[in-house]
Amino acid sequence: MKTHDHAQVQLLRRILLGIVVVLWGALFFRLIQIQVFEYERYQPLSQQNALRLETIAGTRGTIYDKNGEILVENQPVFTVTITPIDYDTSNNQQIASILDIEIDEYINRIDRARRYSRHRPSVLAAEVPFGPYSLLEENRWRLPGIGFRQQDKRNYPSSARASHVFGYLREADLEETRGSESIRLGDKIGKSGLELVYDPMLRGGLGERYYRVNALGQSLGEYTLASNERRNPPRGDDLVLTLDEDLQAYAERLMGDSKGAAVVMDPSNGALLALVSSPDIDLARLAGRLDREYWAEINTDSLTPLFNRVTSASQPPGSTLKPLMGIIGQHMGLITPETVIQNTGTYRLGRDYADLAPPGEYTLESSLAFSSNTYFFELMEQIARQGKLDEWAGYLRDVGLGQPTGIDLGSESRGIVPDSSRMNQLFGPKRWGLGDMINLGIGQGVFSVTPIQLAVTTSLIANGGQRVTPHLVSERIVGGATREILEYPSTPVTWIEKSTLEPIHKGMRAAVQNSVVSWLLEVPELEIAGKTGTAQNPRGQDHGWFTAFAPVNDPQVVVVVFMENGGFGSVSAAPIGSLLIEKALTGTTNRAYVERHVDAYVPPDPDEDDENGENDEEDGVTP
Amino acid sequence: MNPIQDTRWSLLGLWMMLCSIGLVAIYSATQGPVSQFLPASIQSTFSKQLLVIGLSVVVMIVIQFLNPRVLIMLSRIAYPIGILLMIATLWVGKEVNGAQSWIVLFGFNLQTGEVMKPILIMATAFYISSQRELTLTKPRHFAVVTGLFALPIGLLLLQNDLGTALIFVALYPVILFWSGFPKGIVLLLMIPPLVGYAALYHWGFGLAIGIILTAIIFSMQQPRWQVLASLAIGASVLLFIQIGLEAVLQPYQVARIRTFIQPELDPQGAGWNVLQAKTALGSGGLFGKGFMEGTQTQLRYLPEQWTDFIFCVIGEEWGFLGAGFVLMTFLGLFWTMLQMMGDQSHPYSQTVILGFVAVYFFHFLINIGSSTGLLPVIGVPLPFVSYGGSSMLTNSIMIAIALNFDRNKRSFSIYR
Repeated sequence: MKTHDHAQVQLLRRILLGIVVVLWGALFFRLIQIQVFEYERYQPLSQQNALRLETIAGTRGTIYDKNGEILVENQPVFTVTITPIDYDTSNNQQIASILDIEIDEYINRIDRARRYSRHRPSVLAAEVPFGPYSLLEENRWRLPGIGFRQQDKRNYPSSARASHVFGYLREADLEETRGSESIRLGDKIGKSGLELVYDPMLRGGLGERYYRVNALGQSLGEYTLASNERRNPPRGDDLVLTLDEDLQAYAERLMGDSKGAAVVMDPSNGALLALVSSPDIDLARLAGRLDREYWAEINTDSLTPLFNRVTSASQPPGSTLKPLMGIIGQHMGLITPETVIQNTGTYRLGRDYADLAPPGEYTLESSLAFSSNTYFFELMEQIARQGKLDEWAGYLRDVGLGQPTGIDLGSESRGIVPDSSRMNQLFGPKRWGLGDMINLGIGQGVFSVTPIQLAVTTSLIANGGQRVTPHLVSERIVGGATREILEYPSTPVTWIEKSTLEPIHKGMRAAVQNSVVSWLLEVPELEIAGKTGTAQNPRGQDHGWFTAFAPVNDPQVVVVVFMENGGFGSVSAAPIGSLLIEKALTGTTNRAYVERHVDAYVPPDPDEDDENGENDEEDGVTP
Repeated sequence: MNPIQDTRWSLLGLWMMLCSIGLVAIYSATQGPVSQFLPASIQSTFSKQLLVIGLSVVVMIVIQFLNPRVLIMLSRIAYPIGILLMIATLWVGKEVNGAQSWIVLFGFNLQTGEVMKPILIMATAFYISSQRELTLTKPRHFAVVTGLFALPIGLLLLQNDLGTALIFVALYPVILFWSGFPKGIVLLLMIPPLVGYAALYHWGFGLAIGIILTAIIFSMQQPRWQVLASLAIGASVLLFIQIGLEAVLQPYQVARIRTFIQPELDPQGAGWNVLQAKTALGSGGLFGKGFMEGTQTQLRYLPEQWTDFIFCVIGEEWGFLGAGFVLMTFLGLFWTMLQMMGDQSHPYSQTVILGFVAVYFFHFLINIGSSTGLLPVIGVPLPFVSYGGSSMLTNSIMIAIALNFDRNKRSFSIYR
């Protein structure tokens, strides 16, 4: 066997050593290049990798009812994310079944995430219930590539839905971010109701924090350095409402699915105890992911559930105007409580106007009690003949009609108080006359009010002439601690004298006692004073009205109930109003027969309606 | 003969140094402040490595007491056993990270490819040194050596263990070169991979490499046909690659090949690991961020940071001083072992030690080349430093065998 001699071996060894040294040197210089000369370049990169600056929003404020019950709060929602590069597909079946996703859909989502980025986390499932979330979280160590995020959404734990009060949130669009520094694209902001009106208070401020992340984008907790101090986001203010959760829920239950509105208000200050517009929407279904199907459904529903009838349904007040007519008539010196007017059953002025109240002599009090149209036709005729239409309209505006009430819900309808310029506008100059004005005296014709306006005027009758601002929020709690009481203006209507209110109170009290349906309305110890009304509706079934306050001698509560296409106010709206007063004053109701009536009530068919449609003033007469 | 005096303590010292550095780095990579996010199997990495080092020490001591004759005899019978194990792995092996290269043996997960490294080297050395002529000019000798290599390489490719296969492929010309195979032909064999690889970057690089290799063959006064063959092979490889890239392959296929070679081209995909590795090293700077303070490491930006990218952990936390020290230690290892090879007077032990150095060196080159973005990410461990039981045990056994041969170098020829 021939072997390498020593010299040969040494030569080969040196050659090999040379190759090793050259290649080793290449690595060595590369290391110097990266670590010494490119340090400036890689150091910031590693900083970026390790720290993320996150802008965080403070929690949105909680909404309480007047008794401190939580009506609207925040609920953490859990999102499961996936980072495809780290994900182990053998977990597919298991995770899909935990998340309750069809396996095909699950694989689709993973493919979509993979197409977006293999290294960045994508949303795998949003709004995962707490159970599956915590199950996955506990096992995260054996589920590589699965990550988690937590966000807030609105939660409505209350038995009261009050969807028109609270309103809903939506993600801010580009337009909305321009106005404010604290709104980012995609932040949830209030779009209706209190969430909209009080959005600047409810919404938390923006803060910043640094947190450490690993390569999977998982947050590894907050990172505090003196140089990048955390800026805590201020939390939103909490709101305390004037609403009474129980009463609100009860009002919603009474209104059921019918179209209409119900308001319960404290006449002394305008605090709203209940506010229902029916039908309403299910806010919970609008709280998280946009439920497109539901959104389309409520937007196209012919019952217009998004429409707030309390502040926006503008209809003729019908006979509910009569108490105001009595006050204004007295102030104008046209009537006194002693004035007697003969009702023959028909009021003649160019043509016949029917009066469904029994024929006989009527004073102001009894005309309210029996809702005699003749009394108010006469009064209106005097106003019209003396050319005092504008003066009359001025008084109506003084008490709050024809203008927004200032309720803290925004977007109100003004209603219409007809004066001469308005009549000119509607009919054309000199193309309207006495006949068009007479109707206004009984709240019909080109005259419209909203339920909330009627609540204001009834409060004014109840409280001796104070025009209150209806409102829903009584206090804001700043930073979870400082309570700040919100003030709302309450202005006296100076021309109203207490003495002129007395016959009105008596008349309204008698209207409830003498009503043909007093078995539905009257609860003696509550001393309800009220007035029903029916708004003529040339396009369909009439609308029912009821407004009342109680107790008559020490008014603590005002109700207004409006039933769109409900027919006669006495049977559609008044029973609900009566129950609401009972509930508001005593905290409970024990008149199941009235509730049964309300539940069973079906408006009469408009086709079988009185032919003499223009004058079917029936209150207190026809059940 | 004094066993204490005759032991190459410097090699043992280098071995201990590298193992210690590895333990520190593995500890940092798997026991850091946020290690709770790591799977339990990874969290136990440090203690498993410690255990394997302990086992290695025992095995190394045992090997020191073996007569070299026993080791030579083992060279003959170990090869078929190793091959059988590799075949068995294909059937009953365990798949980890897409490579089916582990087999469960006596409760241990054994990576058969790793074990095959000393076996192949010693078997080849045995075959070469048992021939009358230490030249492989005879086609039969050449064929046998090629066959000895081709079998495990083929099995490794079937196991999908590209990294280890590449080490064997690189080892092959070194052994040919050593064993007196005509140098020109060794160089000719190296032309296709080197020219091809360079040409994938740019045809100009391929051309340059081809010309340099041809010039070397010419300067070594090799037969003229070899010079001409070198030119012809280089040119045809160049042409083949160029036509492939320009005409045959679809653009997305070309892109895939290019990103394998130049991962920076795809920073979100293949380049992600390289970028994060370079960021770890670069942000370590001169002095490093400190033990367990490396953000890239602790926040898991490095993939496989306890094995393939362990060097970045060291570079980030101990800076250039630490990483440079690792390079120096390895250079010391190669230097010492080449010295030991030169001190051997028997071709068998020479070839064995040379093979061992070559294996260490290729691991070192590919691992650190990958970590520094000079080479594609292939995924081979850094000897003695990376976590890995089979690798640690095998590499340590190779050290022990080298130490044994070194102590017995004067009396070695009598064993033949």
